[in-house]
Amino acid sequence: MRLLMTASQIRGLPVVTVQGGEDVAEVRDVIYSPEAGRLVGVTLNKRGFLAGRSREVLPAEAIHAVGQHAVMVLDESSLAAPEDAPDDVAHPAMERNVLGDDVLTEGGASLGKVADLVLLVGSSGEVVGYQIDKAGGGRGYIPLPAQLSVSGVALVVPNITEEFVQDDLVGLGAAVDEFRARLGLP
Amino acid sequence: MSESFQRSAGRKVMSRSSAKELGAVSHLLVDAQQRQIAAVVIGRGKKAQLVEWAQLSGFGPDAVMVVDEGALRPPADDRERAAAEGRLELVGKRALSERGNELGKLDDVTFDADTGALEDLLIGDRRVHAGSLLGSGSYAAVLDESQEPSP
Amino acid sequence: MDTIGWLILVVIVVVVAAVAFVVIRRRRRGGGVIATKDKG
Repeated sequence: MRLLMTASQIRGLPVVTVQGGEDVAEVRDVIYSPEAGRLVGVTLNKRGFLAGRSREVLPAEAIHAVGQHAVMVLDESSLAAPEDAPDDVAHPAMERNVLGDDVLTEGGASLGKVADLVLLVGSSGEVVGYQIDKAGGGRGYIPLPAQLSVSGVALVVPNITEEFVQDDLVGLGAAVDEFRARLGLP
Repeated sequence: MSESFQRSAGRKVMSRSSAKELGAVSHLLVDAQQRQIAAVVIGRGKKAQLVEWAQLSGFGPDAVMVVDEGALRPPADDRERAAAEGRLELVGKRALSERGNELGKLDDVTFDADTGALEDLLIGDRRVHAGSLLGSGSYAAVLDESQEPSP
Repeated sequence: MDTIGWLILVVIVVVVAAVAFVVIRRRRRGGGVIATKDKG
């Protein structure tokens, strides 16, 4: 099943083992590659009301599926110690949190601020776009690969992105292909 | 004969060798991979004891017969302790697909009273073959993706 | 202090505890959306 979800819907989801039916952790940070347009992994919190950060992380390869109610892993061994995980997941660049980033066109116009990341989930995690709080007010969506560059402060996007700001997620799905075609991407 | 978790809860447990009443069924511990009842939990709390399925001479409609009361033992590992505390009880547990979507609540589970093999899982008005069960624990019973509602 | 005074004190303590609790929980739970660094 193809399912669009935002990163904030994924954050806080329990991580559940398929074979054990146990909730072994929950999602803390969502880490993605803006270049590859895919989920790279997640960091974890321990389960429990006041439990804090977990040492272990979950690289995307170890995720069995991401659904609306849980992130599924095969068993507890799917959780990786930092030394066994890719560096991007084990030591995420916390200063590169894109939430609240200004979305600027290369021409220098601000389209708004990043409110969320939109992913196509299921057995893999593909990033399809960003949800933004539009400069003029209201919510909008811009398709990926939109950004020319990303920092923890701003997202620089091609000028034509402005034409592809969508009002809803349904529109985003349709816009992604056309947008890619206009950018000359496969 | 088909039996159900709901119906068998509270059924008295008797010793075949001494004809003494040993207690009542509180929980059934399931081996999800084998789709089989592994053990019967008798009593609750700190006094809860287990008897393995192989040690039963019959799982009858009026009583569960244990070969000998010596077969009763305290929980031996974490999973058995969790079962004794009722944390692994299948009935009432959320059913989750292996895709991470909730399918509902497990209302009841049926099994073959002769073999202890699980038959069907009842989720709302759906009856799912136990072959779909991939795992079960304190958080959820996990079913294979064929149980996902079609989009 | 009279009864009203005590009551007000209790309410204040409860509110402060609740706020502190929420703040601590927020901090502990944390979470963000992190972009990986470009590999060039």
